Amino acid sequence: MEEQQLIAGLRAKDRKTTEYLYEKYSRALFGVVSRIIFDKDLAEEVFHDSFVKIIQKINSYDESKGRLYTWMANICRNSAIDKTRSKEISQSNKTNTIDDFVYGFESNSDTLDHVNGIGVKELMNDLNEDQHFIIEHIYFKGYTHSEISEEFDIPLGTVKSRVRAAIQVLKKNIDSI
Amino acid sequence: MDIQAYITSGKLELFLLGELSERERAEVVSMAAQYPEIQQELDELEQAMFDIDNSIGVVPSTVVKTKIFDSLESEFKVDTKSSLGTAPMEGKVVPLSPWKSFAVAASIVAVLASAAAIFYAGKFYEKEQQFTALLQDQSVMAGNLNQVKLEFEEKESQLDKLVAGDFRLVKLKGESLNMQKDASVNLFWDQSANEVFVAVNNLNELSEEYDYQLWAIGDQGPIGIGLVNEGMKMTLQQMQAVAQAGAFAITIEPKGGSEAPTLDKLVVIGNVA
Repeated sequence: MEEQQLIAGLRAKDRKTTEYLYEKYSRALFGVVSRIIFDKDLAEEVFHDSFVKIIQKINSYDESKGRLYTWMANICRNSAIDKTRSKEISQSNKTNTIDDFVYGFESNSDTLDHVNGIGVKELMNDLNEDQHFIIEHIYFKGYTHSEISEEFDIPLGTVKSRVRAAIQVLKKNIDSI
Repeated sequence: MDIQAYITSGKLELFLLGELSERERAEVVSMAAQYPEIQQELDELEQAMFDIDNSIGVVPSTVVKTKIFDSLESEFKVDTKSSLGTAPMEGKVVPLSPWKSFAVAASIVAVLASAAAIFYAGKFYEKEQQFTALLQDQSVMAGNLNQVKLEFEEKESQLDKLVAGDFRLVKLKGESLNMQKDASVNLFWDQSANEVFVAVNNLNELSEEYDYQLWAIGDQGPIGIGLVNEGMKMTLQQMQAVAQAGAFAITIEPKGGSEAPTLDKLVVIGNVA
């Protein structure tokens, strides 16, 4: 389905279009949430709220300001980040690492079933130390780039260029998998 | 604008991660609209971000899906017949809120006004340059005119003198001398007004170190009465006043003239008839 058609269907509050959206994007969007929120139940709760919000707020989505997926992913990411800062999650959550995440998935047979052939480990291949640090904090710990800059005393420009470099590596790995 | 630098700045990634301010977001959107390379990079990154999220992601449990669609039940249109194909047709047209139209109109006006301002500033600068050039030309021409006027006045006064005065012509010739056989200078002398003019018909060019000097030869011997410019042919050159002379002569002297004539460099001579 073309994105325009999809958006029009969503705006028309069409149930089938919404189901199509869910099938196409729930995995990625839940990924955005669950990599930041380690607790599965809590992650699902945040994902539920985010997805409902996406459907309800579809009219505030402005195509001229970016693609649909980006808008949805931002809603999920922001909801997840907000949740990690709320009282429901202890600060210790922010000490999770990519390895915890990978281990968590591999040890959790419940979710492992859903992970297809592409592994997080493979995706993280070739990241150097700096890039690994950036991805860990932005993707898995829900840091914003300015928080990284402040908390770890790295110049903002350096954080930006490392974000760029790290995502380029992930992009390359995704393309080659 | 260095597009490549913009692309590699990391700004596009932050845009996609939703970490830019409203102002920065608007900048990325307008840059992407302006530069296809940026739009393309943005599209590719967007796809990559989705692929990354998708590969890291997991399918949420069916329980969640059920809950979500239960929550959304009141949202959906009651009309269950609406199919995917017709859904877009029935799509509610959401009018842009008026301020958006005004904002769009205002920014278009602003862009046009800026473009016009730059255009006319360029024009103005160009015209100003032309105007300055014209002023300079005008000033040069005024200078030329003034000089012509002065020359004309000088000639006129010389002519007046020649017409009104009682001039006698003394022809100074080089025939009888060895220096320049064909040298010839006409001298006009108004004895009553003591005025002397010379007009060079023919005198050889001298090198830098020498001048022709005119001598009035009278009872007190030769008196230098001025230097003759051999280059100013057929024009009247006024010399110093002379009241009494039996002959006039021109010699070649070191530059600036001498107190006494160098007689072996006598070029022309003529007796007052």
